[in-house]
Amino acid sequence: MSAPSLKIYCPCLDPNSLPPPPNLPSSSHSYHEIHDLYFCEECDLIRCNRCVSVEVSGYYCPNCLFEVPSASVRGEKNRCARNCFLCPSCKNTLIVVPSDPPESADGRIMTINTLGDPPFFLYCSHCRWDSAEVGITFEKPTSLANQLQKHEDSAPDSLEFERLKEHFEPFIRASSASSSASHHLRTAQHVHSNPITAAASDALSRDVPGVSKYNPLSRSRVGRDKSNRDEMPEYRSRMDVSLTGSDTANVQHLLMIESPDEIATLEQRWINSWTSSVLVNDLKPLRIPLHSKKSKRCPTCRHILIKPEQKPQSVRFKIKIAATGYLPLMAISLPFLNNNLATTAKRSTRPGATWEEDRNSPSINPVMFGGRTYPFVLSFTNPMYDPIQIRINALRSPVSTTTVQTDETGPAQPEKRRPPFAITLPTYAFSVAAFAEAWEYDEDDDMIEDEHADLVDDRRHASASTNSGPARGGKAKTVGVLEKKANTTFIGGEVVIGKEAQGDVKFLTMVTFTYRNDTVDEVDLGDEDGDGSPVRTTNPSSSVLGGANKQPEIRTFSYYVVVDLGRIAQRNVEGSIDERR
Amino acid sequence: MSVPSTPSKRLTLDTATTPTTSRVAATSSTVHSSPHYQTTRRHSLYGTEDRIVIDPGSRIWKVGFSGEGRPRDVFFGDGQDGVPLWGLTRATNQLDREEEDRALQAMLQERLRAVFHDSLLTDPKSRRVIVIEHPLLPLYIKDMMARILFTNLQVPFVSFAPSHLLSLLAVGRITGLVLDCGHLESAVLPIFASRPLFHHLKTTPLAGARLTEHIRSLVLLFGKYTPPPPALPAPRSAAAIQRQTSVPAEALTNAVVEEIKTRVCLVGKAFELSAEDSRPSQQQHVTPYHASSNDDVIDVDHPSSDAAQSESEFSRVSMDVDSPAPGSRVASSSYSMVSIEDSQGTSSSHLGEHGGSQVLADLYKRHSTASDIKMPVAPPASSGGLGRGVLMIPGWIRERAAEVLFDGGDVDEVSVAEVILESLLKVPVDLRKTMASAILVVGGTPMMPGFIPRLHAEIARALAIPSSPQPQPSKNRKARPRPPPYDRYAPLRQLLPHFAILNNPDPPKAEKVSGPSQKKSTAAGKAPAFTPACMAWVGGSLAGSLKTGGVEIPREKWEEADVREEVETEDGAVTTVPSSPTSQVYNKVLPDWTRGPLPIGAPAANAHVQAQA
Repeated sequence: MSAPSLKIYCPCLDPNSLPPPPNLPSSSHSYHEIHDLYFCEECDLIRCNRCVSVEVSGYYCPNCLFEVPSASVRGEKNRCARNCFLCPSCKNTLIVVPSDPPESADGRIMTINTLGDPPFFLYCSHCRWDSAEVGITFEKPTSLANQLQKHEDSAPDSLEFERLKEHFEPFIRASSASSSASHHLRTAQHVHSNPITAAASDALSRDVPGVSKYNPLSRSRVGRDKSNRDEMPEYRSRMDVSLTGSDTANVQHLLMIESPDEIATLEQRWINSWTSSVLVNDLKPLRIPLHSKKSKRCPTCRHILIKPEQKPQSVRFKIKIAATGYLPLMAISLPFLNNNLATTAKRSTRPGATWEEDRNSPSINPVMFGGRTYPFVLSFTNPMYDPIQIRINALRSPVSTTTVQTDETGPAQPEKRRPPFAITLPTYAFSVAAFAEAWEYDEDDDMIEDEHADLVDDRRHASASTNSGPARGGKAKTVGVLEKKANTTFIGGEVVIGKEAQGDVKFLTMVTFTYRNDTVDEVDLGDEDGDGSPVRTTNPSSSVLGGANKQPEIRTFSYYVVVDLGRIAQRNVEGSIDERR
Repeated sequence: MSVPSTPSKRLTLDTATTPTTSRVAATSSTVHSSPHYQTTRRHSLYGTEDRIVIDPGSRIWKVGFSGEGRPRDVFFGDGQDGVPLWGLTRATNQLDREEEDRALQAMLQERLRAVFHDSLLTDPKSRRVIVIEHPLLPLYIKDMMARILFTNLQVPFVSFAPSHLLSLLAVGRITGLVLDCGHLESAVLPIFASRPLFHHLKTTPLAGARLTEHIRSLVLLFGKYTPPPPALPAPRSAAAIQRQTSVPAEALTNAVVEEIKTRVCLVGKAFELSAEDSRPSQQQHVTPYHASSNDDVIDVDHPSSDAAQSESEFSRVSMDVDSPAPGSRVASSSYSMVSIEDSQGTSSSHLGEHGGSQVLADLYKRHSTASDIKMPVAPPASSGGLGRGVLMIPGWIRERAAEVLFDGGDVDEVSVAEVILESLLKVPVDLRKTMASAILVVGGTPMMPGFIPRLHAEIARALAIPSSPQPQPSKNRKARPRPPPYDRYAPLRQLLPHFAILNNPDPPKAEKVSGPSQKKSTAAGKAPAFTPACMAWVGGSLAGSLKTGGVEIPREKWEEADVREEVETEDGAVTTVPSSPTSQVYNKVLPDWTRGPLPIGAPAANAHVQAQA
């Protein structure tokens, strides 16, 4: 298992329902790291890479970093039109090298020609492939793609393709003309067609794509001269497959190979639509595919979420509305894994769980054992300049989900099973102080800790756990607000693992935070949350539309987070190891 | 409608400027294939008439722009694990099925987004899309793809075109019998005058996936494995280097088997059994085929078990030489799968299995000339050692593994050759000659060198006259004459000289002297030399550039029909309405041949108007 993780739910895959149970394998597509997420201010929704609409804002070659004008992108088939080539064997970048100088015995002619001598070829510095082996040499060391252009334009597949097009065009034109005529003058023209053939023809042409209408006139004409039943002349291909002889050659080669390295892999060949040799020696250098700079927009309101700078060399963004600027950054730590003083101090509070066992467990991964209780710490870091109030609410995972859990080898009645663990989290709201640049430098943590009163913090002992965990509010605190430091608040939680539990400890948490919105935007806010479960509720006391309101608007945003604490080991340590292997 | 809306001016221009030298035409057209691109759509990167052609397979996707001769990108649709995106079965359990569908939807979305954003680098919102569909593509997958294209990518127009028809276009024809031998299935579809005769479709599960499993089994049984030398300090390294062991199943990952299949395997020529090969024996054991039984390492040191016991397992081959007993066809199918028994299996069947496959191996060894090869593979993680192990693959496996595809006789899993004949049997009599003389073989599996010539030979073999009529005459039965052996393909025997595979790279030439009319098989090998795997894509590209890519569904129409879901999303965010896309309500906008060829009753008088709208 990996380290404990937190992932945020984006509802784009299935907007109408609750987030899927996190232990389903398919649910991993719905949960994202916060760094991968965007935030649309207009819609007030989280957007992920699966739902944003992507636009290309520029093309560039990843090798020479040349920004390719979009006019030439198409003609060059999305590939670099300069000197950038990939090795067909190892996908390394090829370099242009000159031929050996004519007389190398002296050792003095190295500097005669800085460019080298005319037959240039491409050379792979990794696998020592060179293009002279396949007969590709260049007169000049520059604009190699142009020199290769002739080869590509006379590629047999494109020539054959054009010929096919010429072959079909008259046919298509004729059929389209006849069918359009039949649309206009249907009954007048086709005297031969009775309603049944008309119906069948209509249905056929509707159902069968690319088919002209049944045309009794042309049909009967063709039928008369008996030339071809297809109503079209026979196609004479430019190069018959039987004349290429490559298949028999390939068979011969394959019969005699000694190593699979002589044969190109599927990935090296499958782009070729023309039959070719399977030998690795016949591979051609590849022009480097272009990359694109993409800007992303919100799929509903079309606002730009991220927009890179145009220059390929730049790694900055003109616009970047990432979720990290809007949602509190959450992190999780399992203190029983950390060999520090804080955890050893808290160790005594955990009944039945001895730290030594955990630490000496053969796996260095976070492995928890059934029948024990573990604390965990969630930290919330506020990225905004306003303090926020956060309320977290662990959802009891639906019972039915355990049936489809993959690594569930549990008892025979999985439907009746309760979730194998129970989560205790503080249910009251807590505050996270605002972000300030000063904290980047200042160690004075509690500078504005109490700037706004933590009205609700005093209710901490009423921590009714969402799941029926053991209540031990009176002891040294593991559940509740542990610490506040600058714009970060640490929240303690507890997980009680059932005796027979297995699988991963993953649970959904709904995080709701309230913040004051200083920037009054003029759009109507209530209507955009159509397709997402992150709900925004506007505080009714503050009018949204009124420009006259001086008091800042209180807003609430909630979203789902799946917390992955790690894997539960079996009671029997050896057994668990065997099982995992 | 599929009527091209471009005025004929453009077409005449094209045909006028490309009279003779195709090179000039090609150079001008590779730069821009539609002339009005330069004049009008300067801003847009591609003319809006250029469609995006997607050929989504369960394993391999091919994508590109229409009007080009080769796909821009080909990639594995499945992950690295080699599990296809969808299979021939779905989970029966409701919960499992929903889970399966959710996973499929997520993966399809990933792939489709990657098509536009990573492979083609284009904006989906201005692109018309042609999706090449297999006729048996399940509707729920088609629906899922359309939903992703329309809602997530907001593509303006999507059309679905049958892959078999497009393949036929790529060879310049609109009539023919197309065999698509893909990963999951081999399907034969006759097409007449560009109308697919869907109801004469025949399939067989003998295809790429089965071949992969067969190769895996053969290599597990008969391959040799040399583990990498252990870590240097180990003292007994010299002894360990030399030792060849059986192939550990963990070393034979999906990727390795795939590499064996695509890189070193070929299809050997059909072979005739010599006399000592074909001693008929009536014993047989039917070994069930375990699709997923590769977990156990089988000891390859077989006891040299009785070879004669299981010799009937290759009786198909012997049948062709001397005589088919009526039952031998069925019996022959038992060797089709050299399967690996679970080690818990009964020992007797274990031995028998080994004996059978050993006989098979001996037989194949006699009839193959391919060289043995050594292939470096990553050692299984548990074994340790430095570097890579070496897998020794006997040459006969390379040459004869594909025999599994041509091994007929099973009524449920007919061979690839027989499935063509089965479909021909369903075709109306007056079309049979037309179809038989225009067979096209496409798909990924025919990319194996030698596949298509072998297929032709197998068709001829299946149609061969059962030579010696009563080989085992009824000895002590009554005088009542034995019924003639079941000769399923007798109606097609007359067509034998007419059979022609269009893209046969090695068409039979001189051996047609026996036939009465040897001039008929002229179409064999006359197709352009597009690869079988790309044929459907090239056809889609062609159809797109001819603007006949099938019935286009505009997004508005989809959304209109999809309004039920829209209403549900309107009413609040956290609704509990379980309207997942996995629900069985399909959008009726998508045309599909399974939805009934004709509407109930006579078509409306303005049917063509509706069809056009």
